[in-house]
Amino acid sequence: MENKIKAIICVIIPLLLAYALNTKFGDIPPLLKFLDPFTGFWQNSEKFSVKKSSKIALKGTQQTVDIAFDDRMIPHIFAQNDHDVYFAQGYVTAMHRLWQMDFQIRYASGRLSEVVGKKAIALDRHQRRMGMVYGAENSLKGMMANPESNKMITAYTAGINAYIHSLNRARLPLEYKLLDFSPEDWTPLKCALLLKQLSGVLAMGSDEFYMTNIMKKFGPQVTADLFPDYPFRDEPIIPAGTKWNFTPVTVPQPPAAFKEMTAGDVKTKVLEEGIGSNNWAISGAKTASGYPILANDPHLNLTLPSIWYQIQLHAPGLNAYGASIPGAPGIIIGFNQDIAWGVTNVAADVLDFYQIKFRDNTHQQYWYNNQWKNTKIRLEKIKVRGSKNETDTVYYTHQGPVVYLQKPEKLKIADNVPSGHALRWIAHDESNEVMTFYKLNRSKNYTDYRKALTYYTAPAQNFVFASSANDIAITANGKFPLKWKDQGKFILDGSDPKDDWQGWIPAADNPTVKNPARNFVSSANQTSTDQTYPYYINWEFGGYERGKRINDKLAAMTKATADNMRVMQSDSYSIAAADLLPAILPEIDPEKLNATQKEAMNITAAWNKFYDANAIGASIFDLWSKQLYHSIWADEFTIASVPMRFPSKDRTLRLILEDRNAKWFDNINTPEKESLHDLVNAAFKYACDSLERRYGPIGKRWEWANVKHSHVPHLANIPGFGSKTLMIGGSKGTINALDESNGPSWRMVVELGKSPKGHGVYPGGQSGNPGSPFYDNMIDTWASGKLYDLYLMKSTEDTSAKILTRLKISKK
Amino acid sequence: MVFLVILIASFLLQMVLPWWIILIISFATCGLIGKTGKLSIWSPFFAILLLWTGMALFKSLPNHNLLAGRVAEMFGLQAWWIILVLSVLLGAFAAAISGYCGYHFRKAVLVKKLNT
Repeated sequence: MENKIKAIICVIIPLLLAYALNTKFGDIPPLLKFLDPFTGFWQNSEKFSVKKSSKIALKGTQQTVDIAFDDRMIPHIFAQNDHDVYFAQGYVTAMHRLWQMDFQIRYASGRLSEVVGKKAIALDRHQRRMGMVYGAENSLKGMMANPESNKMITAYTAGINAYIHSLNRARLPLEYKLLDFSPEDWTPLKCALLLKQLSGVLAMGSDEFYMTNIMKKFGPQVTADLFPDYPFRDEPIIPAGTKWNFTPVTVPQPPAAFKEMTAGDVKTKVLEEGIGSNNWAISGAKTASGYPILANDPHLNLTLPSIWYQIQLHAPGLNAYGASIPGAPGIIIGFNQDIAWGVTNVAADVLDFYQIKFRDNTHQQYWYNNQWKNTKIRLEKIKVRGSKNETDTVYYTHQGPVVYLQKPEKLKIADNVPSGHALRWIAHDESNEVMTFYKLNRSKNYTDYRKALTYYTAPAQNFVFASSANDIAITANGKFPLKWKDQGKFILDGSDPKDDWQGWIPAADNPTVKNPARNFVSSANQTSTDQTYPYYINWEFGGYERGKRINDKLAAMTKATADNMRVMQSDSYSIAAADLLPAILPEIDPEKLNATQKEAMNITAAWNKFYDANAIGASIFDLWSKQLYHSIWADEFTIASVPMRFPSKDRTLRLILEDRNAKWFDNINTPEKESLHDLVNAAFKYACDSLERRYGPIGKRWEWANVKHSHVPHLANIPGFGSKTLMIGGSKGTINALDESNGPSWRMVVELGKSPKGHGVYPGGQSGNPGSPFYDNMIDTWASGKLYDLYLMKSTEDTSAKILTRLKISKK
Repeated sequence: MVFLVILIASFLLQMVLPWWIILIISFATCGLIGKTGKLSIWSPFFAILLLWTGMALFKSLPNHNLLAGRVAEMFGLQAWWIILVLSVLLGAFAAAISGYCGYHFRKAVLVKKLNT
């Protein structure tokens, strides 16, 4: 008996050991599964020396595909037909970025709980309830209905799957081993989800909940005064005075005012300057070569692996180079032999909330057009790792999903969503954005570019264009609902048909300009047009500052070169400082300052208004102006039970310059009456004291780069996998709009001509593997504001490119 | 002998099977030919220590220990080689326990047979 027990124990101990070291507990990876040198993370260590060439045979290709990887591991794909070129794009993208693609679609489609467990449930529910999957399913219909985009998506998907099927446990991307899950097959729906996620990042902004609360608290007069429909300082993308060469369609009439509004219970959000981007093109009249130059730098939340994936696609009728999005076929920003194109975000109002009156608590019927109408139900099944699966019921009205009946606690991204309201969002509509890129990649001239844009729905972008035929153009492009003025500035009435979207601005009427007299076009997320444009796109856009700086520089430029453009992309001159400093600096009472504050004042007065890495004046001004902004509005616009937002920086500037006696300067929470003068001095002292507390006496540690702390974190924030702190300049509101970890995610400059020359860089590398020398090899070049030459190879043997390794895919 | 058998068998089988095969190999080898309890601890221990150190370095050195350094940082460790030591010690330890258990399993079963 005793021996029997002993024998059993001797078997149980190794079994327990195997189990314990092979299982993920909480956030701790399965230890020996992860550390084992045969299948664990060690296998992801990539050699620094690369094999000259390799061959594989795959079932999915129709003919042989040759891929040359250049000295930065960028693939140049040479295929003999459309199917093969997208198949190969899918294959190499998966080879370098599989986990990133997988993780992003899991995020988008609310499937994170499946791999990380309960902690992601609230986020998963939010994504589902916002209708991300619903939108992707609709979008997919549009993509699959068109034979060309259908072929593109199908081939791309097959390429990704060919790579996934070639994997064994040892070769799985590192993060799978760490989080302990395996890739599943790619599907066309996932391509659609990735594009929806772009809308989620760029077109999910919504202030109407806050605006409605402000309207209720302060009334229409104050609301119109503090939240005007056109900015004080403007620099519209389509130059003011441009004639509209179309007859506008009739815009629907607004209904009688809608007043019955509800309030929730969340905190005031301080208005963050949105995600921005710059692009511009100058015509040959202003360049040394006589041909146009185009530049683009989209700003996003920077991550490693890099957001973008550089690639060249070559097939009959196609030879394009540029940045693609891992998970979507084609090139999003790039150039070919004849044209170059780039994008910035429009910030159109394409997301509206409708207040819904339900018949009862079953939510099966809602009041619309004087009768009860049935809701539809969509069940969202959420798998949860290590826990019970969950089914979430979402009610849909004809507008869209009722995002929340009851708001989740502590979910920041749900803050601007009002409870009991239906969401109408452009990203829910059938669309076919990949077709735009299919066409743009093959465009030869202005006509092709205009044609390509008509396929595009969302997120709306300012598409800049330049061609070797010496045309330049820019179009604020997307599918824009035909709205009455300010429709969606406030929460809409879900029972009134007049509040619905009642049509679309015709694609041909989207704001556009070709070859303007000033010989350049540009955009930086600011107001699309002047006030003569006959349609309503949004009441508020990004600030005018970056646009103004770009236009000032370009207007003064002659005989421009690509290098001038490169230098401009890392320009950090602050228009905001130039506007504000002359008004607030003289307000300071020097005799009331201590020694540090006095020195800080002198430094700020002498500051050249560039957010340079070593500028101490930038650190002081930045904190000072932020604190001033906060102290003007926080007292009136922070009420715990009524979430609101602050008036814009633009409106604040106008208040400071033109209305010094405004009541808003008084802090309503104190018995004294404060003036602008008091707030400016208090904010200045606050800024100096905070910096001193944190960084000691004025010196190196006060320098802007040290205060700003720019870095590029890992997509899942895994320590050790992000970048080091980068000691570089730039700031939101300057062309080089780099703050802590949001900034230029891709910088590109293209010189058009007989043979185009491209230059570009992103903060990261081609590989998504933290164990690869190509994971972050471009960061230092990016940080120093330099660009790499991009090779638009004419053939696989083109010697203008430095080739590191080659891969031949043949038909199996 | 036990040392060599575990070393070679683990090397070959780990090419195709998950890491826990080393526990089965250690258990079986020590259970079949383990001479003493002490040897049944130290033979698997050093066999896996050597094998895993070799394999880890084979992958990591051509990588200039870039990834090992990042993973060390993730675990809050100061240098890449600490993650190496941790990996191989943990593997060797598990194998040693398993070998020891294998040896005593045989003893228990054999005694049982003698008694019957």
